[in-house]
This record gives sequence, structure tokens and C-alpha cells, in this order.
Amino acid sequence: MSALATALAQVSETADRLSRLSARAHQNPYTLVDWPTAVDPERDWFGTPEYVSLHGTAVWEGLDDTARRRVAFHEAAGFFSLNIHGEKSLIQGLAARLYRSDLAGAAGYLHHFLDEENKHSVYFGGFCTRYARVHRSRQASLRTDRPRDVDDLLFFAKTLIFEEIVDHYNRVQARDGRLHPLARFINDHHHREEARHLVFGRRLVTALWQAGDWDARTAAEIRDDLGRFVTATWREYYHPDVYADAGLDDPWELAETAWSAPAQRAHRRNVSADCLRFLATAGVLTEEPADAF
Amino acid sequence: MRSETEIRAELRTFVQRHAGQVAITDDMPLFTLRVLRSVHLPELIILLERLRGAPIDVEQLRMGDFDGIDAMMASFGGKP
Repeated sequence: MSALATALAQVSETADRLSRLSARAHQNPYTLVDWPTAVDPERDWFGTPEYVSLHGTAVWEGLDDTARRRVAFHEAAGFFSLNIHGEKSLIQGLAARLYRSDLAGAAGYLHHFLDEENKHSVYFGGFCTRYARVHRSRQASLRTDRPRDVDDLLFFAKTLIFEEIVDHYNRVQARDGRLHPLARFINDHHHREEARHLVFGRRLVTALWQAGDWDARTAAEIRDDLGRFVTATWREYYHPDVYADAGLDDPWELAETAWSAPAQRAHRRNVSADCLRFLATAGVLTEEPADAF
Repeated sequence: MRSETEIRAELRTFVQRHAGQVAITDDMPLFTLRVLRSVHLPELIILLERLRGAPIDVEQLRMGDFDGIDAMMASFGGKP
């Protein structure tokens, strides 16, 4: 039996409960939103200003409110794009495990997980394609010959890291009364569904880590990979294309400046804290990710 | 855009930072030898874009494009 099959059997009660909640919360993403014909990026806030990646830098201090709203709008499109790409990878990984011979008993919740991730991308894509554009990701996956148990653990642990960081932004922005109602809705809706995925992810990653028979070298490689993934995930929040769309000069240099700014380092550490605390408590990570902060 | 010498120097610094005790040469197949892995790509791509001053088409990437400093220079070192 694979480590993942063992772990899924251990969290089956949680998965069944979450499946019932998902069935009850099932919605139609094509009718739920009344999309405005147009939006005004320089009049309304589409992202929480304190969560814009330039916040705390000299460039941000030099912008007037109109320019700050414009940056926040394009960064919202960048954030939603980042979600689209993250969910594409997630959908691929879930689909690859759906009805795998040793996981057939867990198909019920995987179906809900897949369904909900696809719907989220309908909202994110709906915003980006109507009012901005879908920004590219720099995440790319090269084929490896890692053992399946290691691949399974890395897939669900990376999914959890990605979703924990995103969810922090969703929670903050859903509650931010300064934001345009559409931006608040997309963040709020995503948060409500991700809350179930995070419960599942935390329980599964804990069980999967315990179920695996990791030797010291494998455990070290897993830890290194996950630490690097934290850094890689955060790098995507500093998107030169977003800065260029907002009309800012030298977008690559700006991305580097923002990434290195003390205020942004502190922000990343603060947003990551819950997730890293969980991974440390579960024994998955033993030290802070290199270069992330 | 920086000179080839400058770009190579920056790439060597990046790779060495992730290579630990491994001695790096420009023709070393970094991904084949797992000195670098997929999780390094976002940082590496943004570094290459900054050095060349132009975006890289991520959807057209092949593993061979990154498998060594020489390979990166051949794929991304010239004018876009």
C-alpha cells in the first residue's frame, strides 16, 4: 500500500465530512456573479494597499493615490493569475491521482476538490480576461524519477503551502471594506471553499509524512524542496509584467528592489507564519526556508 | 542588456549559491545532475529576464534550455 493510500484511509472521516459540506455548498459559477461591463482601476481599490508588493518601498511612497490604485488593480490581476496557474497544477495532480488503483476509495473527495478548483479558475479567469489579462507564471515542472511516495507528499505539501499563503490574502481582502465589491466577492468565495481544502490538506500532509518510510537523505531532500518552493511561490508575487502594465519603469529591477525591501521581507514572514508553524509542528520542516525572507 | 561576461558572472553566482560544495563549470548539466531542480526555475527565469532585459516565453521552455550555464547563454543570452 502506498503512503498516500494509508494517509487517505486515516483521514477518511474528515474527507467524508468535507464531501458533505461541499455537496451542500455546491454553486454554479456561471450564474453567481453579475460581472460589471467595465471597472475603473484608478477609482476603486481591487487589492488591499498594505498587501501590494511595493508597499513599504520608496517607489510606493512616491506614488499618488490614483497610481497606487492602478498598481493594486494590476496586482489583483497578477494575484488572480497566480491562482489560475496554481490551480492548473493542482487540477493536473488531482486528476492524475483520481481512481489510481490504490486510491479508488478516496475518489469522492478528490472529485469535490477538482470541481471546486476548476470553479475558482472560472472566477479568476473571468476577472482577468474581462478587465486585465492572465499573467504568465514562471513555475515550470521538469520530469523527475522520484519515488511515487515522495511525489505524492511533495504534491500535497506544495498544494498546502500555496493555498495557505493565498488564503491569507483572501481573508484579508474579503474583509477589506475599501475594496470594490467584485474583488471582495472573489476573495471571499475562494476563502470559503479553500477553508475546506486547508482542513483536508493539513490532516493529509500530517498523515502522509507519518506514513512514509523516509530515510534521512530522502527527508532532507523533501525538506529542501519544500523550503525552495516557499521561496519560489513568494517570488511570483513580485511580477515585473504587473509593474509594466501599471506603467512603472524598469519592472525587473523594481521586482528585485521590492523583493529585497525590509518591509516586504517582514510581510512575507508574517503571512507565512501559520503555514510554517504547522509544517514545523508536523515535523515536515525543521528550519526556515532559505532566501524566502 | 548586460554583456555576456556580466550575465555569465551573475548566473555563476546564482548557481553556486544553490550548489553547496559542488564545484561549478559552465558546461556542467545542472538539472541532469540535480544541482538545480524545478523549484529553482521561477528565481532563475526572473534572473535571466532581468539580465537580458526581456521576458522569456515560459510556455515554450525545454529542460535543455537550462541544463548548464552554456545552455542558458545559448538559449537566452542573445538579443531577444
